[in-house]
Amino acid sequence: MQRGHTHPISSLIREANGIFYEMGFTLAEGPLIESEWYNFDALNVPKDHPARDMQDTFFIKDEPGMVLRTHTSPVQIRYMEEQIKKGNLPPYRVIVPGKVFRNEATDITHEAEFFQIEGLAVGEDVTLAHLKGTLENFFQQLFKGADVEIRFRPSFFPFTEPSVEVDMRLVGENVPEKLRDKWIEMMGAGMVHPSVLKNSGVDPEKYQGFAFGMGLDRLALLRWGIDDVRLMHSADLRFINQF
Amino acid sequence: MKISRDWLQTFFEQPLPDAAALADALTFHAFEVESIENVGLTKSHMDQVFDVKVTPNRGHDCLSHRGIAKEISAILNIPLAHDPLRMRLNLIPVATNLAISIQEPKLCSRYIAGMIRGVKVGPSPEWLRKHLEAVGQKSINNVVDATNFVMFNIGQPLHAFDAGQLTEKGGRYAIQVRLARVGEKMLALDDKEYGLSDSMMVIADAHSGAAIGVAGVKGGKPAGVNENTTDIIIESANFDGVSVRKTAAALKLRTDASVRFEQVISPELAAYGMHAVAGLIVKVAGGEIVGFVDEYPFRTHRVLNGIEVSIKEVNRVLGTNFGETDIIDVFTRLGLPFEKNDDAFIVTPPFERLDLLIPEDIIEEVGRIVGYDKISAVELPPFPKQPEVNPNFYAAEHEREDLISKGYSEVFTSVFADKGERVVTNKVDGVRPYLRTSLIPGLEDALLKNARNKDLLGLKEVKLFDIGTVWKSGKEVTMLATIGEKEKANERVLEPIAVNTYEHLPTSSTGNYQTFSKYPFIVRDIAMWVPAGTEADDVLKVIRENSGELLVRSEKFDEFRKNDKVSYAFRLLFQSFDRTLFDEDANARMENVNDAVKEKGWEVR
Repeated sequence: MQRGHTHPISSLIREANGIFYEMGFTLAEGPLIESEWYNFDALNVPKDHPARDMQDTFFIKDEPGMVLRTHTSPVQIRYMEEQIKKGNLPPYRVIVPGKVFRNEATDITHEAEFFQIEGLAVGEDVTLAHLKGTLENFFQQLFKGADVEIRFRPSFFPFTEPSVEVDMRLVGENVPEKLRDKWIEMMGAGMVHPSVLKNSGVDPEKYQGFAFGMGLDRLALLRWGIDDVRLMHSADLRFINQF
Repeated sequence: MKISRDWLQTFFEQPLPDAAALADALTFHAFEVESIENVGLTKSHMDQVFDVKVTPNRGHDCLSHRGIAKEISAILNIPLAHDPLRMRLNLIPVATNLAISIQEPKLCSRYIAGMIRGVKVGPSPEWLRKHLEAVGQKSINNVVDATNFVMFNIGQPLHAFDAGQLTEKGGRYAIQVRLARVGEKMLALDDKEYGLSDSMMVIADAHSGAAIGVAGVKGGKPAGVNENTTDIIIESANFDGVSVRKTAAALKLRTDASVRFEQVISPELAAYGMHAVAGLIVKVAGGEIVGFVDEYPFRTHRVLNGIEVSIKEVNRVLGTNFGETDIIDVFTRLGLPFEKNDDAFIVTPPFERLDLLIPEDIIEEVGRIVGYDKISAVELPPFPKQPEVNPNFYAAEHEREDLISKGYSEVFTSVFADKGERVVTNKVDGVRPYLRTSLIPGLEDALLKNARNKDLLGLKEVKLFDIGTVWKSGKEVTMLATIGEKEKANERVLEPIAVNTYEHLPTSSTGNYQTFSKYPFIVRDIAMWVPAGTEADDVLKVIRENSGELLVRSEKFDEFRKNDKVSYAFRLLFQSFDRTLFDEDANARMENVNDAVKEKGWEVR
């Protein structure tokens, strides 16, 4: 029997879960139709933030306050809230791979439906240095055979403070020439904003942590040299059967 | 925001480093620089213009050359020669012929008007034109250019009205900040008439009642400054960010002024704006300052509290070992006033730094100014507990592997559909706004599409599966669906499986993805008799060598023996990367193949 093929995104999620599981991360999930509270307010995105305007977010008809989630970050809140409810205090470590939505026209770099992976680590002494170490470890294992370098640049997200943009560089002879020695923007990340912890019921005086969110489609594009993000959702075996 | 290097230099005595070094300094310590453009002024001198992506939290203070200069000063530790926001101001004299009234102080926390008589409107001096043109602004006249210059210099939007076009009563002008009336219209400086609504704020001539500007967005044409203007009233105000954003969006009129108000700026800045612009107008257009009126209803609310942060907290968040001197150095370079209290600092942010509210904000300042490259990569300590195995993910993985071993390939199809129970209200492309109730229609489409490529894919049968979300009977459910050319579509709920460890499953070992042609392919079969003992692979080799570069796939699909002869049948696929092939293209290549086969003494059937 000829084997079928796994979708590259599924393969990537499988690999990411394997790596993060070893680092103590549990895979968590949340709904795709999400309340504005979890998707925005609890994440410290104010009511009048431009991201909440009509053009970026899909709103659900006749269900006021409900949207198609625009990122995997609402699961940060849901997960912590659930743990507190169960009486489990931090440390927490979770990753959240899943589908997210942006209300935009599609082209070779944009899709209205795409995949993200979220990471969250909360404890008494989880630092920005741990974020660097964790991501370095992840990329090092994902891009086997290359030497991976990570760097941070200042950025801004309402749900992290400090916020950083994370760049990665692959060094070494085994790296495809297109990627070799080039800094590539990988994701947004930072230290969880105290308001986000508070909104989840976690005491920000005692606990702190890091969070990151990365586009999986983009990661797949880089990993395999794919030139059009729409292929991911094309259901075309001329693409999928290469994996 | 566009930032000119020459303009930045006006804030410093010492020469700034080159453009690339400045861009790096900003990118790694403040904001991403998206591009550097050379702007040729004369042959001997080029200015460089940076496109700086100021983050939304710094729109308060960094949408200006002064804001970026302050950042450069802190990052590179070069002192500012002068700081226009750190001088003592006195807006005198008070103008007794100006009255200001604010109808909604919540939407306009401050309004300063200043009057200058006897200006001579004309072209701007070269230095002023040069600066504005470098950042992509058109020079209009000396008065308007002065207001724009001050906005791009320190971030305060300003506007000049022609006092001669306003109504004077009893020797006084009266300006009113009010909500627009239902159905009110205004002809703006861009010569377009805008229909206003009663949620929008306007600046009005209180005596005539006419709107002379849309607050924080655009001035009106009738009271605009032109070459006949001699007396002007300048506005330096503070409008509510949300209100301005909504107004600008509704009017589809985003301006340099509205962008700055949207980001929220300190009302304190208005005084600095007025002081700077009045001085500049007198310098470039002459005239005499009559005086100022400062309506500031919310002054008492604007006291920023000190933020307490300890050295320990800084290191606890960043994972660093910074000492007292490192931190004091950052505060000094950023010009953040602080007091030391045992192990802690109490930082009092200057008025324009509305982004600094909590200790983490101060910690971020330390991290970025020292540089995130100083933060080492540290592995997390081992997690005290065994991570959980997610039962839904486990089930999906388990089913996925099972189906793949049975020859099914995985596809992802869209959640959007032609019909369903739930629907999105505002889909940009307008099509398929429903959320699917089943995976099957999407999977059927995918089957149809892929079946056409079966030969190209080298498949005997196309078999697909999808694990995805549907919205049915008021619930969001994960489903698993399968379909094949020889089997009906089947769909069921993906039931969670609770276990303690994940299975070890293979991941893709593919190196690089190969682009495939989007053009149709042509199939040709060839069958022949060959002497027994001739290997099919050897025949295939001859075929491949003679079928040209358009052959994308070739394989044996039939074989039988008769006496001392064997019959082989091969299937050949031709396809181009840049055009649709015609029959002739394939025919010509098949002739070559036929000739080569015959030459070998094989008998084409």
